[in-house]
Amino acid sequence: MKIFTSGAWARLLNAGLGVWLMAAPAVLGYGAPASTSDRLVGPIAASFAIIAIWEATRAVRRVNSAAGVWLVIAPFLLGFGRTAMINSMLVGISMLILSRVRGEVSGSYGGGWRALWRRAD
Amino acid sequence: MADDEAPPGWSYNPSSWGQRIPIVGLAVVGVAIATYLTLFQVGVIASVWEPFFGDGSRTILNSRISRLLPIPDAALGALGYLADAVTGAIGGKKRWKTMPWIVIVFGLAVGPLGGISILLVISQPILLNAWCTLCLASAVVSVLMIGPAMDEMLASLQYVKRQRDLGRSAWSVLWGGDDAEPAMAT
Repeated sequence: MKIFTSGAWARLLNAGLGVWLMAAPAVLGYGAPASTSDRLVGPIAASFAIIAIWEATRAVRRVNSAAGVWLVIAPFLLGFGRTAMINSMLVGISMLILSRVRGEVSGSYGGGWRALWRRAD
Repeated sequence: MADDEAPPGWSYNPSSWGQRIPIVGLAVVGVAIATYLTLFQVGVIASVWEPFFGDGSRTILNSRISRLLPIPDAALGALGYLADAVTGAIGGKKRWKTMPWIVIVFGLAVGPLGGISILLVISQPILLNAWCTLCLASAVVSVLMIGPAMDEMLASLQYVKRQRDLGRSAWSVLWGGDDAEPAMAT
């Protein structure tokens, strides 16, 4: 368990984006449905970004990729106002790009989670 | 620089005290926050600390959602963190193989159970349009425990899997007791 693993900067930026989404409806002054989407996706994205800092759980950064995609398409699916739409899309694109930063994995983990599904030979 | 107690194929031992003490410490902080919120919910203390969100904490802690169950939701949280602390502390440095069951209970308490408590906190601003500083703080504590706890559960699950592949019953391996892992071909 090393706290600042490689690529932690990308995880922390994504966590920051998640926290921003939680605050954005109040700061920028928009309501539902955009506020509901942001207040749901924000904390989930922030949580998984933090969990992905550790090497053994790095794979959950994919949740941030999915959140990024959702933030880009949600304004069209749910019909956001202009401000909420621009915010959602900018945050979504940034989150998607940051979630692609894999970072090095320097420790070894006995084959990782994949080892659990491998058949005995 | 793999140490003797590290699981096979691991560069460190996820059951070492250096790995576990920070998680147990976080769980104790969680117990403290949740106990304080419980005291407010049951009326032992009359006001609750809320530096940022005005009446937010009061609104959330007195909401109908927080009383859906027979005991206040903060009390459930306190019990959850207590379970995290206890199952994080039990067992020695080789517990990933001597007590896989406790490591797995620990992993489930911190992971999925922690996830549910985080979802509860997430639901508050959406359903009640209010925020609660200490509820958010306890969610942060829950999130911070997950990453560092999952590696140890992985080591125990791998151990149970290896033993099962060698023909032992997964059920008996789960309860552990074995100090020496039989040699295996890789």
